[in-house]
Amino acid sequence: MAKMSYSEAKKELEAIVKSIEAGELDVDLLTAKVKRASELITFCKEKLTTTDEELQKLLEEMA
Amino acid sequence: MVEPSFSLSELNRQVKNAVRDALPEAYWLRAETSDVRVNRNGHCYLEFVEKDELGHAIIAKARGVIWGNTYRLLSPFFEQETGQPFTSGLNVLVQVTVDFHELYGFSLTVVDIDPSFTLGEIARNRQRVLKRLEEEGVLTLNRELELPELTNRIAVISSPTAAGYEDFRDQMENNPAGFVFYTKLFPAVMQGERSEESIIAALEAIFQHGDFFHAVAIIRGGGATSDLSCFDSYNLAANVAQFPLPVVSGIGHERDVTVLDVVAHTRGKTPTAVAEIFIAHLTKTATELDVLQERLVSRTQGLLVEERSDLLSLSNRLVHHSSLYLQRETAAIQQLATGARHSFRQVLQKEFTNLQQAIITSRHLSRRLLDGEGHRLMQAKRTLLHSSREELRDERNFLENVEQFIRMVSPANVLKRGYTLTLKDGKIITSSKELHEGELIETRFRDGGVTSVVQSTGSSPTGIGKNYRWRTSPRLS
Repeated sequence: MAKMSYSEAKKELEAIVKSIEAGELDVDLLTAKVKRASELITFCKEKLTTTDEELQKLLEEMA
Repeated sequence: MVEPSFSLSELNRQVKNAVRDALPEAYWLRAETSDVRVNRNGHCYLEFVEKDELGHAIIAKARGVIWGNTYRLLSPFFEQETGQPFTSGLNVLVQVTVDFHELYGFSLTVVDIDPSFTLGEIARNRQRVLKRLEEEGVLTLNRELELPELTNRIAVISSPTAAGYEDFRDQMENNPAGFVFYTKLFPAVMQGERSEESIIAALEAIFQHGDFFHAVAIIRGGGATSDLSCFDSYNLAANVAQFPLPVVSGIGHERDVTVLDVVAHTRGKTPTAVAEIFIAHLTKTATELDVLQERLVSRTQGLLVEERSDLLSLSNRLVHHSSLYLQRETAAIQQLATGARHSFRQVLQKEFTNLQQAIITSRHLSRRLLDGEGHRLMQAKRTLLHSSREELRDERNFLENVEQFIRMVSPANVLKRGYTLTLKDGKIITSSKELHEGELIETRFRDGGVTSVVQSTGSSPTGIGKNYRWRTSPRLS
């Protein structure tokens, strides 16, 4: 997931939420999907509110 | 000798008088408006400018004022006539008086306006530039780009010392939601003749960093609107319109919409407004995320609740139906058992009845048979008795007859009646041929015998003995 872009993560999340809402999943799969969705949400929120030191460094190194 | 001299006020009064004397009337003036401002008292302050033929360099400039009582009539009149508010960048034809004030200096006081002379050189220039961009098909290119959902790496084109840049950074860093922004300043000259070239160079520098950045902010804070002319230039507009990242402009005051503002992806009025645009965008992004999370949580909970209730309902149904089934089956079996017992009993009874009947019938039958047989036996016995009696009687009759016959034919009786017996060597002779001459024969009579010798043979007594035959008994049944 580290290499994932925000919009990729968001798209996957949306797909999961839609499939859950459509009631396409059985309970076993649901658990796995919800877990994945939670990870994606955490990932996205981190992107929004947590400073990426690596990015910050890249920015400072720009001439 | 001391040359005569003026105090400043004396000099200014001289100038004031000279101006009033030289230009005593109201004059019609062609000029572009710039930096139009209305204060709380309703007075309108502005600048009048004139540019060179290329429309870039300002070659004349004068302060102007429209007093409140005039402006209150003039402004709506102008807007009604031209379809646009009285703002900066308009080439106007106004009637002015020329004033010089000792303290405030030179200014033009507007007393009338000719709304038919509306589109100023700036606006006309803007129209030309916009038309060209449209014809080249680039006018809306940047507007058609999408701000990525996560837009937080922002290249900023600004003068490093501008107050507007500080406002922008302040706003971004202290956003209440705590969003992270990665901003990088690409310094540029934001006013004057070098600004166009400088801003284009900054764009090229940003372009060198490829897709590291999500968006570009071009900001410029404060300053007189008359300095905005570079943002109406074709070159800058063409660059911005075709730039691969969305450009957000925030270069001026609320009064001015430059060509840059038109071609930019989004227009913010001020640097602070630009910051707000980015923050609002991330807020929207975060909200979408929250909504998704909310949907996920609520739907998942819903599903689990449903699933649990499904299970409960299934188990209830299972229990209910199994017990129903059991009850039904039990009842059915009981009914079957009852039925079976009943029909078994019926069958037994029927069989029993049949047997009894059979017994009775067979007893009856055998009795009849026996009766019949007995009868027949009796009959037979009777018949037998009868017939044997008859038989005996017949036999007795027959025997009596036989006895009579025997009596009648006994040799004694026969001899009595004259017949004799002829014997030879003790044997009865019945044929003359048995005897030969010279043989000795014995003749027996009823009362004795004589012996004789045979003299001849061959003559036979006539008709004697031929009618006598032994009569046999008629029957012996």
